[in-house]
Amino acid sequence: MSSKKQQIICRCEDVTEDEVLAAIAQGAATADEVKRLTRAGMGHCQGRTCRRLVNGMLARRLGQMQAEQRPVTQRAPLQPLSLKVLAEPKD
Amino acid sequence: MSNSSDIIIIGGGIAGTATGHYLARAGLTVALFERGYLCSGSTGRCIGGVRQQFTSASSIKLMMRSVQLFAQMDQELETEVHWHPGGYLFLAHDEQKKQAFLDNIAVQRAAGLRDVRWVDAAEAKEVVPLLDTGGLLGGSYCPSDGQAYPFAVVNGYSQQIKQNGGRVSTFCEVTGILQQGGKVTGVKLANGGEHFAAAVIDCAGPFAGEVGRLAGIEVPVAPERHEALITEGVEYMNIPMLVDYRADGGYFQQFKHNGQFIGCYSPVPQVPGHSADSTYQFLHEMPRRMLKLVPALAPVKVIRQWAGSYEMTPDGNPLMDQTPLAGFYVLGGMCGHGFMLGPAMGEAMAAFVRSGAKRTPYPEFALQRQFAQAEAMK
Repeated sequence: MSSKKQQIICRCEDVTEDEVLAAIAQGAATADEVKRLTRAGMGHCQGRTCRRLVNGMLARRLGQMQAEQRPVTQRAPLQPLSLKVLAEPKD
Repeated sequence: MSNSSDIIIIGGGIAGTATGHYLARAGLTVALFERGYLCSGSTGRCIGGVRQQFTSASSIKLMMRSVQLFAQMDQELETEVHWHPGGYLFLAHDEQKKQAFLDNIAVQRAAGLRDVRWVDAAEAKEVVPLLDTGGLLGGSYCPSDGQAYPFAVVNGYSQQIKQNGGRVSTFCEVTGILQQGGKVTGVKLANGGEHFAAAVIDCAGPFAGEVGRLAGIEVPVAPERHEALITEGVEYMNIPMLVDYRADGGYFQQFKHNGQFIGCYSPVPQVPGHSADSTYQFLHEMPRRMLKLVPALAPVKVIRQWAGSYEMTPDGNPLMDQTPLAGFYVLGGMCGHGFMLGPAMGEAMAAFVRSGAKRTPYPEFALQRQFAQAEAMK
């Protein structure tokens, strides 16, 4: 059986709690850094699920106030769109 | 923690971390200061392409060295940087472009790049079966060009700096350059602290000009906004980086390690300044340009777009030199090629700084040069 530490934090990129903790131990202090070290938040849902979990882990490990954490940049498109749909002529 | 080191590096992108790695490995103590997080500037926004097909002998040779370094990087940095020699294919749709590529291939071969070659449209189709070859005359193809993962490379270099006794300070902005008697002595930090060293290297990428001005030195680097997008990962299709220089062309490749397509194009007219804003126009245009070359990608979904800065010099060549302020160096102005040039340029920069030489070993990268010719393969 998988241990608790192998819980999935980012389901789009298959990032486990262990991997996020390792990134924090290595010096990551923001969700942006965790994202670039582990890819948590880089997948299909753009971090909608894992963002709060990662911020919570950072807050607990590093004694941060969640309200004061740097938000990661939100990027378009809001949901994945095919190249075909995006390439269609604008009206 | 000590407030002095042998070397101070300003900037935590590829230029700063690679240079820092080679200096730290040679036994010097390195202190690297980054205003944001590692890779928060241009390096983390690039599309990860690595090519040797340049038009000047020194750039070609440096890139051949970079490819060697990328190929051994997993061992050197004790991490996985996802180097993959997937190749680059530059497409020619008119006689003028074809002739330019043929001329370039001759220069590249003379510089020692043996596997670059002209492929006609039929051979291009063999290399990329999904390519729409309508109107294509052929292309310049180099199978030993490739790709790597920028975040892993920069993090790997940074970890090595720390393992070799250096420090890497993030969210730590340099606000002043300290000097005495015409020599650099250290830097002032936003947190009020100071750090001392006899050598300070400006590796601030698109902000190299601003950092230079802290020391009263003119560093001719101007940022230009470039946009990019990335798709979901799909099965790897063995597509090299495709480069289409036509007015409505662009460049894109597929990462082997996770199957994502990543691409960008150079906007006309250029967009000067530090903006990292994304536009809807790009989100519409880039897919159109990708599908023009590879129509089979139609169902692949775009998951993210962003923008970042090219760090342009007046002639398209980088800067690697000591400035008129003794001990204050600059490595930058990579003009959109920083990630690929970074490993070899970092290694060369470290050797230059250690040598104690006054002037750059690359006259064409000198800070005070005649900015005349433009690098053709931007």
